[in-house]
Amino acid sequence: MQQTLLLILITSFSTALAQTTISGKVLDQSNQPVPMANVFLKDTYDGTTADENGNFSFTTEEKGDHILIVRLIGFKESVQSVTLSGRPLAINIEMKEEISELKAVTISAGSFAASDESRRTVFRAVDIATTAGATADIAGALNTLPGTQKNGESGRLFVRGGDGNEVKTFIDGMLVLDAYSPSAPNTPSRGRFLPFMFKGTSFSTGGYSAEFGQALSSTLALDSKDETTQSRTDFGLLSVGGDVAHTQAWKGGSVAGKVQYTNLTPYMGLINQEIDWIAAPVSWEGIGSFRQRVNKNGIVKVYGNFNRSEFSLNNHDIDDPSLTQYFKLTNDYNYINASYKDVLKGDWMIRGGVAYTSLRNKYDIGNDLINESEKGAHTKVAVEGSVTDHMELKAGVELFTREFSQGGTQEGSPFSLGFDEIITAGFVETDLYASNNFVTRAGVRVEQNSLTEKVTADPRMSLAYKVGNNGQFSLAWGKFRQTVKNEWLRLNTSLQAEKADHYILNYQRIENNKTFRVETYYKKYDNLIKIENGVVTNNGYGYAQGLELFWRDNESVDNLDYWISYSFLDTKRNYLNFAHEAAPGFSSKHNLSIVAKYFVVKLKSQLGTTFSYTSGRPYNNPNETKFNGSKTPSYQDLSFNWSYLPKPYLIVYFSCTNLLGRDNIFGYEYGSTLNEQGMYNSRAIRQSAPRFLFLGIFLTLSKDKSVNQLPTL
Amino acid sequence: MKQLTIIPILIAVLFFALIKTAFANDGKYVEAMKKNIDAVYKAATIDELQAAVNAFQRIADAEKTKWEPNYYAAFGSILMATREKDGAKKDAHLDRAMEFVKKCKEIAPEDSEVITLEGFIYTIRVTVDPATRGPQFAGLAMQTYGKAIALNPENPRALSMLAQMQYGTAQFFGSSTAEACATLDKSLEKFATYKSDNPLAPMWGKKGAEDLKSQCK
Repeated sequence: MQQTLLLILITSFSTALAQTTISGKVLDQSNQPVPMANVFLKDTYDGTTADENGNFSFTTEEKGDHILIVRLIGFKESVQSVTLSGRPLAINIEMKEEISELKAVTISAGSFAASDESRRTVFRAVDIATTAGATADIAGALNTLPGTQKNGESGRLFVRGGDGNEVKTFIDGMLVLDAYSPSAPNTPSRGRFLPFMFKGTSFSTGGYSAEFGQALSSTLALDSKDETTQSRTDFGLLSVGGDVAHTQAWKGGSVAGKVQYTNLTPYMGLINQEIDWIAAPVSWEGIGSFRQRVNKNGIVKVYGNFNRSEFSLNNHDIDDPSLTQYFKLTNDYNYINASYKDVLKGDWMIRGGVAYTSLRNKYDIGNDLINESEKGAHTKVAVEGSVTDHMELKAGVELFTREFSQGGTQEGSPFSLGFDEIITAGFVETDLYASNNFVTRAGVRVEQNSLTEKVTADPRMSLAYKVGNNGQFSLAWGKFRQTVKNEWLRLNTSLQAEKADHYILNYQRIENNKTFRVETYYKKYDNLIKIENGVVTNNGYGYAQGLELFWRDNESVDNLDYWISYSFLDTKRNYLNFAHEAAPGFSSKHNLSIVAKYFVVKLKSQLGTTFSYTSGRPYNNPNETKFNGSKTPSYQDLSFNWSYLPKPYLIVYFSCTNLLGRDNIFGYEYGSTLNEQGMYNSRAIRQSAPRFLFLGIFLTLSKDKSVNQLPTL
Repeated sequence: MKQLTIIPILIAVLFFALIKTAFANDGKYVEAMKKNIDAVYKAATIDELQAAVNAFQRIADAEKTKWEPNYYAAFGSILMATREKDGAKKDAHLDRAMEFVKKCKEIAPEDSEVITLEGFIYTIRVTVDPATRGPQFAGLAMQTYGKAIALNPENPRALSMLAQMQYGTAQFFGSSTAEACATLDKSLEKFATYKSDNPLAPMWGKKGAEDLKSQCK
């Protein structure tokens, strides 16, 4: 009796169970088969992979109620209950497309996003360092992209008929006041921020997000690197100075510091300069950064840049070059940026920060002494996330406070000018995805200005539509505003902000490391500064329109990467002291850049060359009757660079601009009085030297010897 | 009385059945894993790899305390990346591999084999775009292999992967490959002697090491 019971009990545990076959087809929303989906019963091993036609079939020994899951990247997981009874089940599954970052269309109108992390970018962060002629300057490299007009005597970015002041720089979303180092009159200035600090660069030539305010033409948004994982020490020996940097890393954080000394005196002594230097530019710079992970996803970033530069020179009178005027500039610059980013619940993210800039210029000109100081703080808090799978939302509030003062003696009499400005702003923007192929972005930016006591709202909109796998159209429109330059606002604090409307149409195609882009735009300026009978008003206006082409190919020839940019610009404005509507002096009709980089494995070297062409720029010749009716000769430059890696931790870098030594002329200055012939004497504005040669040796010490400063060059 | 004697028997039977099912489950786990591990090693196409990765995902979903299914899902995804030509697709496979590695690390933190696999991901990241990625990921890969070796100096795969990175670097800079070859010899030695008591322990990497050895003469 007991034995039979035992037998029954044992056999009941090992009875073979009847199998159920589950089969069917996986389809997408338009009834097309979806291959390679993972089809399985939850919490069991039972399942299979659908074939290339979406068909699947598997058997299971499970019984009763179960959950059937179908999973595939790019689609929402399909979940349904099934009852298993031994009878075959036939189930067709419809998968819903997921809006995924990888597949979804991105808005490309006006925008050049550069990131080393994503493959689908037109421009990479490392390009900044390796573009010949740019000498590792961010603005210099971006000047080879369409939409920019080269102004060799300024070094700043000029975008689509806008002047250099219309481009604003942001670091981790926070505004930077005065992003360029000081330079002598008519010599190019360099950006204050080193390209190697950033993991991504987003350069927009128009139609940008409602998050960015106080920029009329363009934004340059720099995304700083996260914490480093390796401690290292870097040394740089440059033909114009030297630097030492150290990075200390720990789990979840790092701190880095760099001290740089630049002195152009030996170089200026070696190579004859147009400028009559008394003391060539000397600068001390300290950079510090701190990164710390907090919680699971949060990161705190602090960055500081402290710089002091000084130079002095003699300005020569145009009419009588033997008459000189002493000019000395001392510039102190401090920038601190602290930001925090964390993940809230689910897909929502919060980020915020404070940026503080303080700068002081001390001018010593002839008998005049002028002290100028500007302090500004930018505070921002923003949240962003997904409301539904098809809708993303971004909203934030900002506060800009600025304090400007200027005083001293001018022509013997003391003066004092200044203003305090507070701008309170808020923005909200939503991305609506109809599918992975179509996105509409709509946003608005509201600002209140303490000086004008006005509340303004600037709507912005853009959309992108994907055609085929690799091509897409983008459209953007928006209203933009920016407070007038300090030099005007200090005279009249009731001046209104300058305004611009952007309209942009773009087509972009990226395939197999080849990019083609064409973009056309129209920009309308309003409220520009106009000087009428000695009174500063907002009665100026203008327009810019153009067509831009870009082609980049990193594929066709081994180890060769090249790009070609062409911009056509038609712009006129009636502003400042213009007699009538005319093309401004910083604008040029045609801009062409050809950049090539070639890696020679045998030489362990990367060779780069850049050719730039800028058609003649207008200037006003007082000896002619027509206002702004004359044109300079075209600007042409052929630059070369060579990076050599003899050892993994050592880099030798050499670069030379204007190999052919072309005498580029940027414009003319005129004397203030008529000469004996009844004409004004003129003097050409030239490059301070035909070529700029640079040699640097960079050594990195770290625990493993494979680290070098290549990304920093 | 009869009913009373049945109780201990019943308990014994239940206990026996419990042990049996527990064993059967683990047996089923090992069996399913072995079958798919074999499939990964033998896969000739991306689709075959995908099918195996899918199977590991299914097992991983059901066996939340085991690190091996996520390990092999990551390994399969890395192999998919090596066979893909398009950079963006390569990255997508590697992103997925990284997700599996993260899950592994939650279950088995500080496991030498898992850390080696993480390093493998960085090595393949370099191949997507050597000029851009090299400076960033080559160092990271070496560092990660170093960590894996520190966790288990007997791990032949960590040594072999490190040797391959060292060899590549030495070759690029035209410097001596002695250091790389020394690491490789150590790795081959470990391949011969290293035994894990885990029947599902990773076995790959020997052929790569042997191939490199032929260049080390």
